[in-house]
Amino acid sequence: MISTTSEKETVASQAAEAVQEGTAGSLSDAADIYYLTKDNAEFSKTAGSMLSVTVGDQTHPVVYVHCSFPHTNKRMYLSVRTVENKEIGMIRSLEDFSEEIAQLLEEQLQIRYFTPEIKRVIAVKEEFGYSYWETETTAGLCRFTVRNGGGNAKLVTPNRLLVTDVDGNRFVIPDMNRLTDKEYRMVEICM
Amino acid sequence: MELMIIHSIDKFNVLEQQGWTEKDVLFQMTCDRTTDGQFLDTYLALTRHELLIATSLKEPDQEKTYKGYALPVRNATRPVLQEEGQWSVRTLKIEEIESVFIVNLVASGMLVMKAPEENIIAAFTNGLMSQATKLTAIFGKLKGQEEIDSELLEDVGANASCPKCGRIYPEEGREICPKCMKKSALFVRLLSFAKPYKAAVLLVIVLMLLNSATGLVIPYLTGAALFDQALKGEGYFAGQIGLVILLVIVFRTLSLLFGVWFGIINAKMAANIVFDLKSSIFSAMQRLSLNFFQRKQTGQLMTRVNNDSAELQMFFIDGLSYFIVNAMNIIGITVILLLLDWKLTLLCFLPLPIVILLVRKVFPKLWRLSWRRHRRVSAMNSIISDSIKGVRVVKAFGMEHKENERFQRANINFSGSEQHYDRLSGTIFPVLNVLTQMGGMLIWAFGGWMVMGGQISFGLVLTFVNYMYMLYGPVQFMNNIVGWWSHCMTASQRIFEIQDATPDVKEKEDAIRIPVLKGEIEVKHVVFGYEPNKAILKDVTLHVKAGQMLGVVGHSGAGKSTLVNLISRLYDVNEGAITIDGVNVKDLAAESLRSNIGIVSQDVYVFSGSIAENIAYANPDCSVMDIIHAAKIANAHDFIEKLPDGYDTLVGTGGYNLSGGEKQRLSIARAILHNPQILILDEATASLDTETELQIQEALDKLIKGRTTIAIAHRLSTLRNADYLVVMDQGKVVEEGTHESLMSTEGAYYKLVKKHDEALKMSEVIPA
Repeated sequence: MISTTSEKETVASQAAEAVQEGTAGSLSDAADIYYLTKDNAEFSKTAGSMLSVTVGDQTHPVVYVHCSFPHTNKRMYLSVRTVENKEIGMIRSLEDFSEEIAQLLEEQLQIRYFTPEIKRVIAVKEEFGYSYWETETTAGLCRFTVRNGGGNAKLVTPNRLLVTDVDGNRFVIPDMNRLTDKEYRMVEICM
Repeated sequence: MELMIIHSIDKFNVLEQQGWTEKDVLFQMTCDRTTDGQFLDTYLALTRHELLIATSLKEPDQEKTYKGYALPVRNATRPVLQEEGQWSVRTLKIEEIESVFIVNLVASGMLVMKAPEENIIAAFTNGLMSQATKLTAIFGKLKGQEEIDSELLEDVGANASCPKCGRIYPEEGREICPKCMKKSALFVRLLSFAKPYKAAVLLVIVLMLLNSATGLVIPYLTGAALFDQALKGEGYFAGQIGLVILLVIVFRTLSLLFGVWFGIINAKMAANIVFDLKSSIFSAMQRLSLNFFQRKQTGQLMTRVNNDSAELQMFFIDGLSYFIVNAMNIIGITVILLLLDWKLTLLCFLPLPIVILLVRKVFPKLWRLSWRRHRRVSAMNSIISDSIKGVRVVKAFGMEHKENERFQRANINFSGSEQHYDRLSGTIFPVLNVLTQMGGMLIWAFGGWMVMGGQISFGLVLTFVNYMYMLYGPVQFMNNIVGWWSHCMTASQRIFEIQDATPDVKEKEDAIRIPVLKGEIEVKHVVFGYEPNKAILKDVTLHVKAGQMLGVVGHSGAGKSTLVNLISRLYDVNEGAITIDGVNVKDLAAESLRSNIGIVSQDVYVFSGSIAENIAYANPDCSVMDIIHAAKIANAHDFIEKLPDGYDTLVGTGGYNLSGGEKQRLSIARAILHNPQILILDEATASLDTETELQIQEALDKLIKGRTTIAIAHRLSTLRNADYLVVMDQGKVVEEGTHESLMSTEGAYYKLVKKHDEALKMSEVIPA
């Protein structure tokens, strides 16, 4: 009797382990995401400055790179897609590729996610339901207009502020903590 | 393709140097960004045969002023005269290019051409999207050798500007010029709402003046008259204490009466004005197109209408009249004080500059802190409502502690900002109080000293102090008026914006009226998108003969409902045309169109009111018998009879809750009474269970008889009676024909039917 119980226990615990492994494995099996690595994918830049990728024996002449986490980590889990939004595969991390390829992919991110980062807020003036921003950004001095309210300036992480202008252009303050008191005061009114 | 470098001052010279004239150019635009995150111009020009691409070879621009920035640009680093720059110019024959299209990026776009490989032409910021869309549309027409609409070539919309000052509006599609909509102009316009109440306004002002005047006498009576004359036994009131007291009582009562009277009239007038304002906004809203309501920012605009009119009510009740009263008081009191003794007057004004300075300095900060507190309260509240609404999920995953942590964080944030605010307001208000009283103290001190010196009398000092205290209230009011004023003006601006908005879908002046249409619908090469470059319908062509039933099938997102919106002209097509009985819907009078088209859609709206009223919505003059017949045809009669209140049952907000199927039957009854020639069934049974669907289907079959019907469904069972079927996918018609012919071709429709059958078998196996 005793032996049966212990046997039963062993069987049970083995089953539990199996289930655990099963769930961990089956999640990725079920998701069935194809990961691109430096061994199975070959990226190159076309004559027309587009990105192309060859996976196995199939070449996709034009693909685009989407970030899964554009605000929190731009370098991991990138999705390589065609213009029809069909996923060719995912890249776990840019670190998995050679520096040259990583740079090529980053160029693509630069094209898709054009968002000047605000380095310095020169002035934010509010008038009639709009605020007019004058800022120094990574792309130079930018002046733009933001409609008040409606989440046009919102924190996407506790410290990262995304500002959307009247035409939908995006700007970002990467770290609110790095603003001076004066800058913070000007920006805060629009949040 | 030839590539050459051209030296030129600006892009237009590039054209000349190419031997092109401005006349040849059908369309031109300047893309403003590079693909590596900088700003640099790429100039594109399109003629009938060629595309010119001129890329500036200068260093990237270090400055960019986006569309809509209405402030004068200061400290511009760019020299006014541009130096000669180099342009890399390519000209391509249109035959060489297969296509030009836009790739949507995040908050920007990129023009790409296929020639024959895909090539990046240039990237541009979001504001240029509609221009780029135009470029691709014109290119497409040129390529296909089609005629180009003059509408397409016109440069409208992209740079809509204020007709008064020529400034570009900050926001596309929202015609507000911050410069011309000056607050003073708004104020005058706001005042115009008071025009019909001229007499009342006049009376109010007179009463206010009387109220002020009678109030102003009192300090003199209780001060100088009582102490210096009556008590001392000198002058006019010598020894007549009783008379002075009586006069004080009389004036106080008069002042009170005038005040009450003025308050009553004022409140009535203000309520009337706001009533007018609200009804004019509401009727202005009804006139606008669907698009206006669905634009994101206007959704907010709507919810604010109520708050805004409440704010304006304050303007008329508290603001305007009290502004006049207080201004009068300040002037009157100052004059009296100066007349009594100018030296003491100056003395009592001494702390005033400090008070004003302090208020100016500290109040903005206080306001900012209160805004921060408000924001954090909202953040906290949203967490509370999150975890209450989502309590099932929280409990199911055992995440109570996590919710606690989340709340704790928000709570700490809030409490910090609350303390900040309280600390500052706790300091500033007592200080202000002390300062205000300081004026009184000064007068007591100096006045007392002067009384002892025999220069002035005690009564005068008392009068003085009383007047002075009367002064501070109005001064404080004036101090707050700045913030209050701009608040009010922003509110009125939003309201006037709705009033001034022009509907996108306009009825032509010489619109054609056809009381009863036959119902032949033709859709020709229609292209439409709610946003530029996001075409939902791409070159859709359909034909429905009068009295026929057309079934439109397709996955969700295929553009089926959009098609309906266009046929009933809730939106205007971008390209192509829709005709009914051979008349373009744009030329048809809205009234003719609406009375001939009925829509039964999946989301049924039930208005507050009785069931009978709801059925009779489209035709309020119909008889009770008609209502019952319509309900009977719609299979609604039986459930209505079962209700305790029958056709009088109140439904809608706060009323009896109808089930989805019951609502749908009401809407069918509504459509039956409306009796349109053209009937559109937009997924009418999509949200219902199979049992109910059968009942509704039966009702629909009765409704469809003798009408042109367009039925949209992803459940194919709804379409079994259709004379003709159209399969849509991603905005295009991919197949059309009768059920039999489509089944025999074994294409997209065939697959849909097979899938549908499988799904049906599934539901038979698994009992619901």
